[in-house]
Amino acid sequence: MRISKAGLLVVLAFLAPVLVELRTVLAWVNIELSVLETAIIGGIIIAVILVWAFLPENGDEEGAERDVSNSEL
Amino acid sequence: MSNAYIDKFPAEAKVVKAAFYSSFLALALGGVFGVIQTLHRTDIYRFIDSADYYTVLTAHGVFMVITFTIFFLVGVFTWAVTTSLDRGVEDIRFTWSWVGLMTIGTVMAGVAILAGFVDSIDISASVLFTFYAPLQAHPLFYLGLVLFVVGTWVAGADWFRSWWAWKKENPDARIPLPTFMVLTTMIMWYIATMGVATSILVFLLPWSLGWIETVNPLLTRTLFWFFGHPVVYFWLMPAYLLWYTMLPKFAGGKLFSDPLARVGFVLFLLLSTPVGIHHQYLDPGIAEGFKFIAMTNTMFLLLPSFLTAFTVVASIEHGARQRGGTGYFSWLKSLPWRDPVFAGMALAGLLFAAAGFSGMVNAGMNINYLVHNSLWVVGHFHLTVGTAVALTFMAVSYWFIPQVTGKELWNRSVALIQVVLWFIGMTFMTNSMHRAGLIGMPRRTAEPQYTGFEFETAVGSVGELNAQIALGGVLLTLSLVLFFANIIGTAFGSRSDNLPDNGYAEALSGSDDAPRVLDNLKLWTAIAVVLVIIAYSLPLMSIVDRGGLFGPDITAFPANLESVRFLAFAVEHLGTAALESAGTLAWNTLPEVIR
Amino acid sequence: MNIHTYEKVWLIAALLLIVGFIATITYGSVGLGIAMIDDSEETVEPSELDEDFGEPRVEHVGENEYEAYVIAQTFIFQPDPIEVPANSKVTFYVTSRDVIHSFSVVGTNINTMVIPGEVSTMTAEFDESGEYGIICNEYCGSFHHTMEGQLHVVPEDEFDMTELSVESDDEVELGNETTFNVAVENGMLDDLETTVTFEIGNETTEEEITVSGESTEETTFTVDSTELGEGDHDWTVTVDDYEESGTLTVVEDLEEEEENGGNNDE
Repeated sequence: MRISKAGLLVVLAFLAPVLVELRTVLAWVNIELSVLETAIIGGIIIAVILVWAFLPENGDEEGAERDVSNSEL
Repeated sequence: MSNAYIDKFPAEAKVVKAAFYSSFLALALGGVFGVIQTLHRTDIYRFIDSADYYTVLTAHGVFMVITFTIFFLVGVFTWAVTTSLDRGVEDIRFTWSWVGLMTIGTVMAGVAILAGFVDSIDISASVLFTFYAPLQAHPLFYLGLVLFVVGTWVAGADWFRSWWAWKKENPDARIPLPTFMVLTTMIMWYIATMGVATSILVFLLPWSLGWIETVNPLLTRTLFWFFGHPVVYFWLMPAYLLWYTMLPKFAGGKLFSDPLARVGFVLFLLLSTPVGIHHQYLDPGIAEGFKFIAMTNTMFLLLPSFLTAFTVVASIEHGARQRGGTGYFSWLKSLPWRDPVFAGMALAGLLFAAAGFSGMVNAGMNINYLVHNSLWVVGHFHLTVGTAVALTFMAVSYWFIPQVTGKELWNRSVALIQVVLWFIGMTFMTNSMHRAGLIGMPRRTAEPQYTGFEFETAVGSVGELNAQIALGGVLLTLSLVLFFANIIGTAFGSRSDNLPDNGYAEALSGSDDAPRVLDNLKLWTAIAVVLVIIAYSLPLMSIVDRGGLFGPDITAFPANLESVRFLAFAVEHLGTAALESAGTLAWNTLPEVIR
Repeated sequence: MNIHTYEKVWLIAALLLIVGFIATITYGSVGLGIAMIDDSEETVEPSELDEDFGEPRVEHVGENEYEAYVIAQTFIFQPDPIEVPANSKVTFYVTSRDVIHSFSVVGTNINTMVIPGEVSTMTAEFDESGEYGIICNEYCGSFHHTMEGQLHVVPEDEFDMTELSVESDDEVELGNETTFNVAVENGMLDDLETTVTFEIGNETTEEEITVSGESTEETTFTVDSTELGEGDHDWTVTVDDYEESGTLTVVEDLEEEEENGGNNDE
């Protein structure tokens, strides 16, 4: 994993407002999406992030990063 | 043996625990009423009468923003004073007395509100959190509020007692930051509650008891907002206290600057009250000049919040770098997102930034025409009190409850999902509320579906906005269920010796860097009082001069009379409305001219 | 007190932003003339609005300038609908008969609290015709959600403030004459030149009249019942788009109904 599970959860949560308002922003440049289209685009973006997150990372950087993001507490 | 709060202060831990549990009970009730409202007003699912919606709304408002927030506040403040002065309260019986007063007050106000659902009981208080006269509640409601506020006054006296006793033993020491924050907040509260105390004790309570005939609606309304704006900072200050003194610790670092934290709280003390008129930008009977003064004060009130944003983000970044974070932005990855306490507080802070933006719009005197009393405002305060405050409180409960019960948190993963779910739910709900407000959809309305016109959206449809509001409301309810599962699970757990130590964050730039004048509470109190007098004496005099102390001859809207008579009153007026529209129809269509 | 350089920069930027906000709002007030609702109106007694405030109405007060006097009460607005012409400047005077309401024209900046005892005023310009909803957005009681009204901005050439009323007998005795008293009220400031058309049976009479601004012009049509003959006769009086109609009955003998002869409409 390239990111901790908790980090992934927070990233996905942060995506919610971005996706909700994506439509409004696009409407400004005259691209009007339906609810379904927005949902599909949202789904694709989430899938891409998930695939990225679960791709194995090169080298031993992974171990180090996980240590940091999951440490003690 | 752990070094948790309960180990050091077992008696005080009981008080703090009682305060937290009281606030959670209010949160649960408020949550139930909240979801009923989202489903009702969006017309997704209606199972109550629309007339009862306003009782639900009153209950939601009062339980959430009075009981939940303030009970949590007194818990946090008691913890903050005892921990930072490192001494117990002076007299635990005195401490329990204010817990008792606040509880009795809540129960009285709560009974008055909830009795509104039962037709056979001749009591109701469906006057909303703002209780604007001539809407009239049962005296029990006003009495309950009075007792509750008096309870908070006694609580403040308790904390001042602790500080005075501590000061005798440490004459030259700086006030520890958490205690400083508690004391400045309480001074602000004493000043602010003068408004609502006058409004209730001099006018509304005697009026509801029938001792005086009339009240001046503009006067009681202005006195309410004298208190009504600082009260939002009263909710916010414990959250700020936690962001300053706890969040850096949870992030693994230190507070960036103790002196600037003090400056921030002094500014809040000075500026929280002389701004209340910004809630009355659209009120007739108040001169434009007074509104302008309130507007400039409000804008300067942004300053301490900007300061807080800087200090908190800087402290978090410091924490992340202590944990090995590097780079311009990649230090964000090094933050303890796995920790529900940190994640919840950070997400709350993030949405508070968004709330700041919509707040700036509200504060803009002339833009306010567009959004005043629209759903936009509801979106705004669900980001402030509903997220910045409530989510911070819930998240920090995952640290506090183990501290005051001595039991380990039941489930950290559930806790993390809970705070994230709250963030997502609020995103959906408040975003659509802001958007709906911009197209003119009103707040405080059981059925924002009108017969004579339709709201026009720029993008999407009204149906989508409603669906988003309802979706948000449901997610928030789910989040609450998870929260209570965790709290109850923790409460039924067994004592643990494996708890984190009690304490708060140290500062990179400590109190020694702060000019001593910052600790001169008498000076700041005096300036705050002067500012309030400048901002309020002329408007209040002008209002009394125009409308009289007891106002014009208006009958009380009998919100507390038996429902039969109330209904009769309503029906009579509906009848007038029906006649009126029939008349209009006739005027337009029949070949006869009326009048 | 040592303040970090970044924090100093941030502080200065924040202060600039705040001053900028205040400047734009001041510009809005002074430069663009966006006035706030204020205390310029005298207070009124909510129980004596008829004297203090008058009946709910629209008045023509200058070229393209109108004043709308609106009363909000649980749970209606009066007048409803409020009619004004396009390309006009309308000043609203709004007060409440009972509790606190609001007067909010959906989709516009016209939005004010309505407090009993106080009169809110605001002036708006309507460039184009259209229909707006008016809502109360301040909780005012159990049926608050039903409180709505309408604002109709009608095309300039279709707008008038003419009122027509006709006074006449219901019955007349055969052989007698009866009169139709027609009053045309002109609420506008300008003179109204129009034609009153009176039809009864197969006869049509027309009369040109000029009603000066803010006044009423009366005219009379006299009918001889002998020409009509016994029986029911429908009549209409037309002025522009306004029409009044009724039936005149010619009878052989007027008996005890005599007293009910005068008909005041409505």
